[in-house]
Amino acid sequence: MSERVLALEDASFSFGDLTILDEADVAVERGEFVALVGPNGSGKTTILELLAGLRAPDAGTVRRPTAAARSTAYLPQSPGFRSGFTVRETLAFYAGLLGDDGDGVDVDAVLDRVGLGDAADRRVEALSGGMTRLLGLAQALVGDPPVVVLDEPTSGLDPDVADSVFDATAALATDDRAVVVASHDLAAIEARADRVVLVADGAIAFDGPPDGLLAETGAATLREAFSLAVADRDRAAVDAAATAPSGGDSQ
Amino acid sequence: MSDATDAAGESAAGLRAAVDRVFVVAERELRTLARNRALLAVAAAFFAVVVGLAGAATGSPGGYISLTFDLLLPVEVLVPAVAFAFAYRTVQGDGERGELAVFRTYPVTRLEYVLGVFVGRASGVLVVVLASLAVAGVVAGTGAEQPVSFFASHSAGDTPVVFARFALFAAGYALVATALAVAVSAAAGTTRGALGGSVAALVALAVGFDLALVTAVSSGLVDAGSIAVFAGFSPASAFRGLVFELALSPALATPSVATASPVASLVGLLGWLVIGLGGGALAAWPDTE
Repeated sequence: MSERVLALEDASFSFGDLTILDEADVAVERGEFVALVGPNGSGKTTILELLAGLRAPDAGTVRRPTAAARSTAYLPQSPGFRSGFTVRETLAFYAGLLGDDGDGVDVDAVLDRVGLGDAADRRVEALSGGMTRLLGLAQALVGDPPVVVLDEPTSGLDPDVADSVFDATAALATDDRAVVVASHDLAAIEARADRVVLVADGAIAFDGPPDGLLAETGAATLREAFSLAVADRDRAAVDAAATAPSGGDSQ
Repeated sequence: MSDATDAAGESAAGLRAAVDRVFVVAERELRTLARNRALLAVAAAFFAVVVGLAGAATGSPGGYISLTFDLLLPVEVLVPAVAFAFAYRTVQGDGERGELAVFRTYPVTRLEYVLGVFVGRASGVLVVVLASLAVAGVVAGTGAEQPVSFFASHSAGDTPVVFARFALFAAGYALVATALAVAVSAAAGTTRGALGGSVAALVALAVGFDLALVTAVSSGLVDAGSIAVFAGFSPASAFRGLVFELALSPALATPSVATASPVASLVGLLGWLVIGLGGGALAAWPDTE
């Protein structure tokens, strides 16, 4: 039986009058690759921040693993790293934050795992956008956290690099690690995600396998299903005057 | 083993781990300083001003006492400038890149992080300040043609101890300025905010607090006889007071009237240090636990 490692239980959160979640329930099991999708402004980034413990819900509970030295890894959209340091030095610094638990981190092995082994001695400011995202993924693996939360890891990348980064992201879930990723890359999600959680209007509008959303909407592709699912929803963020409550793409 | 022994062991291990994390952050800050050419230029400028003033004063009467008088105002103004140049972007930059959010998923507390930033940046500031003052002291010492007794007339006299005490108080002042710079950096959301906040803090440090004290005295809020104590509330006045009362005054033939309370000045500087570090930790990121 699968083990639940991450959950929102009756969780509510709002920015003033703007409701992001209203008594929502979401549970993620070990080894699952869950994609969080929704229109701009629907609150995907905020939900990820709730899951990662960067925000506290107004009401309800967020359950995360407690036994690990680092329970939940987080990678923001468009991550950056302090310039002047090499890729290896940057990852070694993050491993150092684990204290004694970081002593066993094989920095080069982690870099190899995400495909950055050959760039270990390169300064971070000399990395391409895709390589910076891969370094972000490598950072997410430090300390072997049972849960990884990633905010749009492929945004702004060309299709080939985006596919490569998405493959690396999906691979994180293969060793019993739960991965939750917010993304607009619906083709990649359709091909790789175990589950899709569609958030809109402060509620979880759908939670199930990609095929389930296709069946529910009668669409041929997830891209089409997304448009059908949010067609009648309030697209607050499309309004240029709408406030951007948190980082990311005004989510 | 008893439960109490187990608890003590866990507590000691926890403290060791916390100290380790502070030094991991501090090492990153030191490496950043060493690799930043702009900051090396700031350090070189400070060195040039301090040593240049010492060189210009070589041969003039007064030796270390004269040198301390000559350097007091430049150090009072330039040390905070160096501290803010070294630290104003550190926490703000980590926040802007999203790294603060990432740090929060590691077992590092905001106080450990801010202490690490402070230790790293303050180490750089101290090296610059103390190395500059040490060279200035050597320049003044080797340039003196003969012992001078005009200003100093008793055994404490014009010895390197006077200048060493000045350097010690300058180091304390540098620590306070760095802590305040880290706090401003933590509170700022943008680079522009960090720059503006730093300029405002520098103006407050250089003249703002002293002006507030003068205003308070002239308006009768503070009794003129209490100025010596209230001067300790301003970091610059506290530093100046310590230099006058504990470095210069003991060496003068006719000590001047006390203008500052050393105890109030020390407490004031310590208070600002705690405010800077505590404020920086609170501003670094919110507590969501």
